[in-house]
Amino acid sequence: MGSLLRRLLFLFRRDRLDRDLDEELRFHEEMTAQSLADDMGGDEARAAARRRVGNPLRLRERAREPWTFPTIETLAQDVRHALRLMRRDPAFTITALATLALGIGLSTAIFSVAYGVLWRPLPYPNPDRLVILSAAQQTGKGVKTIWTWAPVSYAALGPRLDAFDHLAAYVSIEAQLTGRGEPLQVPAVEVSPNFFTTLGVGPAHGRTFLAGAGAADDDRAVIVSDRLWRSSLKADPAFVGQSITINGLPRTVVGVLPRGFSFRPVVRAGALPEADVFLPSRWPGDAGRSAFLYLLGRMKPGVNKERAETELTALVNDPSIVAPGALAPEGVLAPNVRTIARTAGLQEYGAGPVRTLLLIVLGAVAFVLLIACVNVANLQMARLTARRGELSVRMALGAGRRRVVRQLLTEALVLSLGGAAFGVLLARIAIDVTLPLVPQAVLPRLGGIEIDGGVMAFSIALTLVSGLLIGLVPALRVSGTALADGRALHAGEARTTGDGPGERLRTLLVVAQVAMTLVLLIGAGLLMHSFVRLTSVSPGFEASGRDGVVSTVRVTLPERLFDRPERIHAFARGVLDRVRYLPGVTAASLVNSPPFGRMFIQGDFSIEGQPKPNLAAGRPKIGAGYFQTLGIPLLAGREFTAGDTAEAPRVAIVSERIVRECLPGGPGEALGRRVRLDGLSDGSEWLTVVGVVADIRHMGLDRDVQPMIYVPFQQDRSDFVRFVSFVARTSNSAAVVEGIRAEIRRAAPDLAITATVTMDEAVAASVAPPRFRMLVLGLFALAATLIATCGIYGLMAYAVTQRRREIGVRVALGAERSDVLRLVLGRALQVVTAGAVLGLAGAIAVTRVLRTFLFGVTPTDPLAFTVVTAALVAVGLTAAWVPARRATRIDPVEALRAE
Amino acid sequence: MNATKDKNELLPGTLEMLILKTLSIEPMHGYGIAQHIRVISRAVLTVEEGSLYPALQRMLVKGWVSAEWKVSANNRRARFYTLTPAGRKQLGVEESKFSQMFGAIMRVMKTT
Repeated sequence: MGSLLRRLLFLFRRDRLDRDLDEELRFHEEMTAQSLADDMGGDEARAAARRRVGNPLRLRERAREPWTFPTIETLAQDVRHALRLMRRDPAFTITALATLALGIGLSTAIFSVAYGVLWRPLPYPNPDRLVILSAAQQTGKGVKTIWTWAPVSYAALGPRLDAFDHLAAYVSIEAQLTGRGEPLQVPAVEVSPNFFTTLGVGPAHGRTFLAGAGAADDDRAVIVSDRLWRSSLKADPAFVGQSITINGLPRTVVGVLPRGFSFRPVVRAGALPEADVFLPSRWPGDAGRSAFLYLLGRMKPGVNKERAETELTALVNDPSIVAPGALAPEGVLAPNVRTIARTAGLQEYGAGPVRTLLLIVLGAVAFVLLIACVNVANLQMARLTARRGELSVRMALGAGRRRVVRQLLTEALVLSLGGAAFGVLLARIAIDVTLPLVPQAVLPRLGGIEIDGGVMAFSIALTLVSGLLIGLVPALRVSGTALADGRALHAGEARTTGDGPGERLRTLLVVAQVAMTLVLLIGAGLLMHSFVRLTSVSPGFEASGRDGVVSTVRVTLPERLFDRPERIHAFARGVLDRVRYLPGVTAASLVNSPPFGRMFIQGDFSIEGQPKPNLAAGRPKIGAGYFQTLGIPLLAGREFTAGDTAEAPRVAIVSERIVRECLPGGPGEALGRRVRLDGLSDGSEWLTVVGVVADIRHMGLDRDVQPMIYVPFQQDRSDFVRFVSFVARTSNSAAVVEGIRAEIRRAAPDLAITATVTMDEAVAASVAPPRFRMLVLGLFALAATLIATCGIYGLMAYAVTQRRREIGVRVALGAERSDVLRLVLGRALQVVTAGAVLGLAGAIAVTRVLRTFLFGVTPTDPLAFTVVTAALVAVGLTAAWVPARRATRIDPVEALRAE
Repeated sequence: MNATKDKNELLPGTLEMLILKTLSIEPMHGYGIAQHIRVISRAVLTVEEGSLYPALQRMLVKGWVSAEWKVSANNRRARFYTLTPAGRKQLGVEESKFSQMFGAIMRVMKTT
């Protein structure tokens, strides 16, 4: 321990020790000279003494060694040397740094996204014990999973679960905050009173909801997020206890959540925006079979998923708990089939749809980083070949092989650290700029996405690995040959021409680069082809055409303002009548669930005189002129008209698929038959079919056409008509949308407009995820191609320089320019072809991971494979073209004289 | 790397013992130590400067010797090394280790 202290002291007293040592050695030399002086002359003796003592610098260095920390000192030395070299060769430095910054930056950005969505712990205590409950059935058609539960099931399950500390329920709703300036649409959830206890979160001000016997007192309570409290309630703690109006009802603010609390209602399609308003609900009086609640459970400590699932499974097969045929938006659980309960971690569940995508993108970005490293390693090798002289001298002067390798590794690490510094900066910018552009549906930001310690640790690890990758291969290669070259140098021999072992390695690296690039390109090509296929699918309606574009304006009619169906009908009729006469409107109508909207209600139906069809049908409530407005062809019969009122006979229009599958005889025969909607509150009466319309795709272009039973909006008395979308075909969309808003405000001043969107936008939004996937992979493939192109160019340019003499000889012996061109391009073609063959094999092996993202295209789609491969070969040859041209201009006289 | 090729190469590990032994007689400067070992060993053992000074520095670091500048016999400033108590203890350790080793080698050599 004492020695360590002395060594540390030395760091500060270094100069004195050096002086001491110098003087001591001088003294020694003089004494030696004196003793020798007896035998020879003074000068001669001094020279002899110096010879005996040897290189004073070296001696001093060795004498000093015991005092120092040799690793750190040589490291500092190597770093200084590396920086000097980097300054001396700015072209190399900039290229290498840019390549590495791109590779490391992209990796860091993507990792921070993946980490935020998949792995960063949610902001609740023990988040791993929070699970979403679901039920699944194995049927002939595969596994049917249903994620939502009926309130009766929730009420029955809660007290009987032993594996859970708490079981909460929530449903995402839309809330309108009124009476405080502009009506405000805020993301909201209805939650069971124990919701916050389940999450394990307490309020910053006020309290959370009362549970148990006191719960009824909270029916008019509300808890708001810190964000809403700051933005709309002036961040005033005195607001606790005061009243705000939500969906037309006054509610008392009982609590404000802490800053940093975030809850994104996780639903089937991913996660919705963070909720700002939490309304307590016990769903009183809802004894129906409609299942719309998400169940969030907190497992007891030590309970694993298997135990929880076993317990739940026993309960869900009890008909008194889960009514047979309970209907969820996803479908109906079949009676007499065993139901398996499942649990999914809250985060895992929310990330579900993007998990695969993120892992694929991570894989892709790893490829890009590898390709970048290979490029820099290659550059480094070329540079080291040029530095053979320097290294030979170093080794001749006594630097060991290990020492040289260490120095070269240090150089690589300095480069990669520099690249990482720029890379992280790049990642920051990339995240800040691009993340807001990514649709929420594509990327549920569950854990929050930022570059923090965890991400930095990952990025540093990446940097070290890339540094090793960049440094080790060339270092071992070059240090192995340097010594031999040292002798060659000494003998005055000329450098070797042709393929040295170094060049062979460089070639292999470029082959690998081309292969990896091709894999990425083929992946991007597949997604692109799939996207083209997808977007060429017709939705079945005409979103835009000669008569203008279809715009929709959506509102939700709260119970407070519209307590009876008659009021809803009157409101809809009144607004629509005026909208029809707005200037620029060619046709207008209304619907409760527009295609490509978020809502789709489907359920069983019956046909009079036939066995019950094994098919669920959508059941939109529409106004007169709906099909004309959307451009859906009428195949038989008539549209609904203003005459189909609540008092008129009940009618329906069915879609072609229902006729095809359930009504033999074609559209004409279908007219006059009677159908009935079953299962939900909007059904139970027989409806006469008065028309047949063409099929449309309601949920997305990648889905099959939906069977539909359309009913007149004015004849429906269920709660489903609370959702109203006014649709208008118009050539002047902006003005008409404004007109519709004005009409709505005139009819109901306190109503917030939920959304205004054109059908084109709705369709585009539905293909946003595949477009995003295509763009991301395309971007990476492009980056990889750029880097690989540089790699091919570098290799060929270097080869041409190395073979100058050979080419000179060939030209002198009468080779034509075209021969030279063919020589160089032929070499490039070999390299690219080898890479392409490897890449194709790799692509066949890995594109399977894309299967779930492909529409109408197989993972080995011949078109994508051939086109992309041809394109890459062409790009590779183009990259080689420049050095090849340069080779043809080699002047044989000059080339031969230079050697 | 720093092997001093010499006919009279020291047995490895013995240099420090020899220095300690030399300094146990009296404080000496580096040149004096080298001379002393050479003379006593009748020029069989030659201590190379390249080994001597690094060894002295090593021993300074370990705290076996201390150094101070004094005036030498011929009126020159020289750095004199003195054995510390720790160095004296170390000398004992090295001596017993060496004689153990030496005895062992001799036993092997005498066995016929």
